[in-house]
Amino acid sequence: MYIPLRIRIERDIITRIYRSLTGTGQIKVSVNQEVAPEDIIGSSNSSAGFRVLNLANLLSVPPSETEKYLQRKVGQRIYKDELLAQKKDFLGRNKIVTSPADGILDYINPKTGELRMSFLPKKEDLPAGVYGIVEVVDEEKGMIIIKTQASLVHGVFGSGKLRDGTLNLIGKKDDFIAKSAFSSQYSGKILVGGSLIFKEAISEAISEGVKGIIVGGINAKDYKGMAGGHLSFPKKLDNDIGISIVCTEGFGSIPMGMDIYEILSAYDGKYISIDGNKAVIYLPSFESKSMSKIKNTSLGPITEALINHESEVTEMKIGLNVRVIGNSYSGEQGKIIAIDKSETVLPSGLKGTLITIETRSRKIQVPVANLEVIL
Amino acid sequence: MSSLPGLFDSFDNLDQIDVGSLIPWIKNPPNPIQLENYLANRILYPQTMPLNEADIKIDLAILREVLRLNGPKKNQNGEMLGENPFLNITLRKIIIPDKFLQYVPNLTELTWAFVDGLLLSRAKEDFFGDLWTVIVSDHVDEIVGSILLPQFGSSSDVMDLNILGKGYKIKAGSLTLIPCPKDRCELSYKFSNGKFLGKEENAIEISGGKLGIMIDGRLS
Repeated sequence: MYIPLRIRIERDIITRIYRSLTGTGQIKVSVNQEVAPEDIIGSSNSSAGFRVLNLANLLSVPPSETEKYLQRKVGQRIYKDELLAQKKDFLGRNKIVTSPADGILDYINPKTGELRMSFLPKKEDLPAGVYGIVEVVDEEKGMIIIKTQASLVHGVFGSGKLRDGTLNLIGKKDDFIAKSAFSSQYSGKILVGGSLIFKEAISEAISEGVKGIIVGGINAKDYKGMAGGHLSFPKKLDNDIGISIVCTEGFGSIPMGMDIYEILSAYDGKYISIDGNKAVIYLPSFESKSMSKIKNTSLGPITEALINHESEVTEMKIGLNVRVIGNSYSGEQGKIIAIDKSETVLPSGLKGTLITIETRSRKIQVPVANLEVIL
Repeated sequence: MSSLPGLFDSFDNLDQIDVGSLIPWIKNPPNPIQLENYLANRILYPQTMPLNEADIKIDLAILREVLRLNGPKKNQNGEMLGENPFLNITLRKIIIPDKFLQYVPNLTELTWAFVDGLLLSRAKEDFFGDLWTVIVSDHVDEIVGSILLPQFGSSSDVMDLNILGKGYKIKAGSLTLIPCPKDRCELSYKFSNGKFLGKEENAIEISGGKLGIMIDGRLS
């Protein structure tokens, strides 16, 4: 009996990691140069994007009247916490809106009452973030490829280009990630949450400059919004909405698997990379002794590798680590302790061979079709 | 995506299904967000098996919609054109792959899903599509029964049907399954205000089998 095999974690492998300047700037390393995590390998002036504020809602006024409450003109510069808009209500109380960041007022939409605000460009240093050897410097694209030792975590799907940042845990593996979870302290960070993130929370994270989110699940409707309205999963994606997201389990509320949550927890506060479109998280080694292994390991030519472990299968046997992928017990992980010899008629009327799995907290029986072996 | 076997591995456009179109097919539907997540996980993990009755009902709703999406398209006159792996319009056959029974073991429910997906929106303007033979297809095709789509004249219309000497009253708007395990089943019918195969009254012989005779009396 065979079941699908999914590689979720590849530990301490020699791989390549990509570093990119976030805007125009200068690369400060050359090919074959050895780098350490704290080395600055480039610097750039980047715009952190834009934010849309619904002033009509914030001030409780009709959209067409929003502009008259603005305290700055469209096109003007404004700094964080400066007064952006205010309105006195009929009791004489002030409703005020302050600027969430340094920026320029771009445009106000009289039909929706939304204000678009571009953040001001800022200088950003790009650290190597890893021990390694520079293999490629592409001045034109502002990109550096470093050979390094890292653990790779493979999510199920995601969205967004490759981004770097410090990993911060913001919740337990089964928490929902609400809009209120994000604040400016997480600007530039890659956040690890729990079982589900909503669209509003993603928008807030973008506004606060969060670079990436790793989460168990996302609602399909919200994912479609990030993926151009599609629910298909081609081998190569090119989506980006200003943040990179990796979902480790599937659609809906599914607690992040213990295997991934534990390895990510060990990287809390450390510099990592996340590629949403490939659904890969790069966790570099921070041990200087990894340099000798990096030097002594040669990698094949650089290609646009497509990661595809999904069609692999393995023989079912007792002791294998498995993960539930069906609608019941979704995302639970455990070890196979028994395999039924005959098929059982399930409440759905279908026949299936039941597998007994011992999870951390209980024993469950699941048909073999609803399992995949995890590595 | 992987090509692991499952009920929907014959279809590559599950993501085009409008979740709202699934809801009418489910008796106690989950909320649309949960339903869309279920569909998305079906795309992600096509090999999974529904554990309970509620999930198999959702699978059948998805099957209806994906069959409709992939069904033959109508021309300007409302006639169905083209061939389809599940529908032979020329020979008036509904072809159900045998492997589908691994995922929906109830042949009656599976056949209704095919009727809903492929024939529900047909134009009842002539009698060409009033009678369909149902085939379960594997290495060898097996005829399992027939589908009758009578053209009722009004919602109060009744079809008096006699199959193998037993009488039935088929009301407009009803769905009926009559067992007829023989290879050939003789039937006669008479309408008060409708037609079947262009006639108000007639006697014919149709295919039977383990499914039997299904009569879809729904009004278009």
